[in-house]
Amino acid sequence: MTQASVVLALVVVTALAFDFTNGFHDTANAMATTIATKALKPKTAVALSGILNLVGAFLSVQVALTVTNAVVKIQNSNGTPKAALVSDGGSALLLIILAGLVGGIVWNLLTWLLGLPSSSSHALFGGLIGATIAGLGWAGVNWNGDGSKLDGVVGKVLLPAILSPAIAGFVALVGTWIIHRITAGLAARYTDQGFKWGQIGSASLVSLAHGTNDAQKTMGVITLALIASGDWTDTKNIPFWVKVACALAIALGTYLGGWRIIRTLGKGLVDIAPAQGMAAQSSSAAVILASSHLGFALSTTHVATGSVLGSGLGRPGAQVRWRVAGRMVTAWLITLPAAGVVGAAMWGIGHLIGGLAGALVVFAVLVAAAIGVWFRSRRAPVGSHNVNDDWDPVAAEEPVPDAVPVHAADVPATLPTPELTKGRV
Amino acid sequence: MSDNLGFALEGAWKVLFAGLVLGAGLPLLFALGIRSLAWGAGGEAEVHESGVTGPKPQPIGTVLGWVLFAIVLLGIALGITFIVASGFGKALSFEHIYPTIIDKH
Repeated sequence: MTQASVVLALVVVTALAFDFTNGFHDTANAMATTIATKALKPKTAVALSGILNLVGAFLSVQVALTVTNAVVKIQNSNGTPKAALVSDGGSALLLIILAGLVGGIVWNLLTWLLGLPSSSSHALFGGLIGATIAGLGWAGVNWNGDGSKLDGVVGKVLLPAILSPAIAGFVALVGTWIIHRITAGLAARYTDQGFKWGQIGSASLVSLAHGTNDAQKTMGVITLALIASGDWTDTKNIPFWVKVACALAIALGTYLGGWRIIRTLGKGLVDIAPAQGMAAQSSSAAVILASSHLGFALSTTHVATGSVLGSGLGRPGAQVRWRVAGRMVTAWLITLPAAGVVGAAMWGIGHLIGGLAGALVVFAVLVAAAIGVWFRSRRAPVGSHNVNDDWDPVAAEEPVPDAVPVHAADVPATLPTPELTKGRV
Repeated sequence: MSDNLGFALEGAWKVLFAGLVLGAGLPLLFALGIRSLAWGAGGEAEVHESGVTGPKPQPIGTVLGWVLFAIVLLGIALGITFIVASGFGKALSFEHIYPTIIDKH
């Protein structure tokens, strides 16, 4: 095995790891409301979402090889890497990709730890932008496109991030209001059964669309790395094993379920009722599908969060926790720069040490960060057993001891004990 | 920057329109379907004064309810067709009013 092929293997493994974090980070987008309203049991919901993501990933035969072109200039418009970056066997390009992916993963893990639904695509783009700035300078970033279409960091990332949650929120608000008007006066047990099926259907649609959109990005990145190292030449197709590996990674991640984020989105932001859940998911599904039809790039996370917020505003008497919403928006704002800083730092480390050793150190930093985050998360685990506990612990009866970030694990006495050791993520 | 803003707002209006039609319109039909079923079932399905029996069942309501659900299902089928079609490099065209699958240009 040559040095270059070891670096390539590291890039592939890291890309699949990113795909995996992408999966569990985004389970909430499809299933948080379905779980919160108990339309599906938590485990059933994540299994359904995982399967639909797997199916979705295989449905996307379209080649997303030019995925990085939206934000950085490391590829030609036909998908081949820039010649200057592959002159030395592709190592310059591989280091940028590796550093960018690590930036994305580290940010995904941190936001997961805090239970914040931030955008995985922003994390990936942020990491790549940071690594590119460090490696190629400011001119290496595609800030604004060439003015002929919606493109660049501004057009593909920043503007959609502002517009898409607002659109989804408005649609969900209108939907929630209409549903409540129409079904007012019906017995709750009668309507809830109907909304249960409405929620399952719309959440499934979101899962399927997620699989087709997000798995493609990683497939494109891995194929780019393979082309850079000279192991693949076809820019019209993606190696079959790459497709299988990415599909499995995102589906497994989804099945694992990012319970912390599911909890925030399902219980923290709004106390969601079945009708709201259906309105929110329908809005998400419609906005995601309409956008990809019109070539309007957006983040599933922003849409789903906007929808849940809108459904909270649309139901008379529903309460929105604006502090939680504020934390989310803050996370959105800093996702791109924060992942960028990590990506740039990783590129710096890798470049300073150089060669195979540099790539290995970057990878080791990633592993160390992941283990650190995992251990920190064990202090207040959130899993399928407590994902639906009340957001505000029973504060009325007794003062709660020092608040734990996720307000979850400090009420074990009320939990069914056999579940305590299972399914914690 | 200003070019991008123009393109984005142009796209945003279309997404908002499609989002309202599908994302709020289909739930509206679905809710009407539930309402019709309740009307069809009568009795305890609607909240009414206690002590008296609920409204009489109206079979037409049941029929209407299922028709509305069928329309919603068609809408969802269209959504899935769209996902699958775009995955295979096709697109949905509405130029004949009813949707047809065409090659993506």
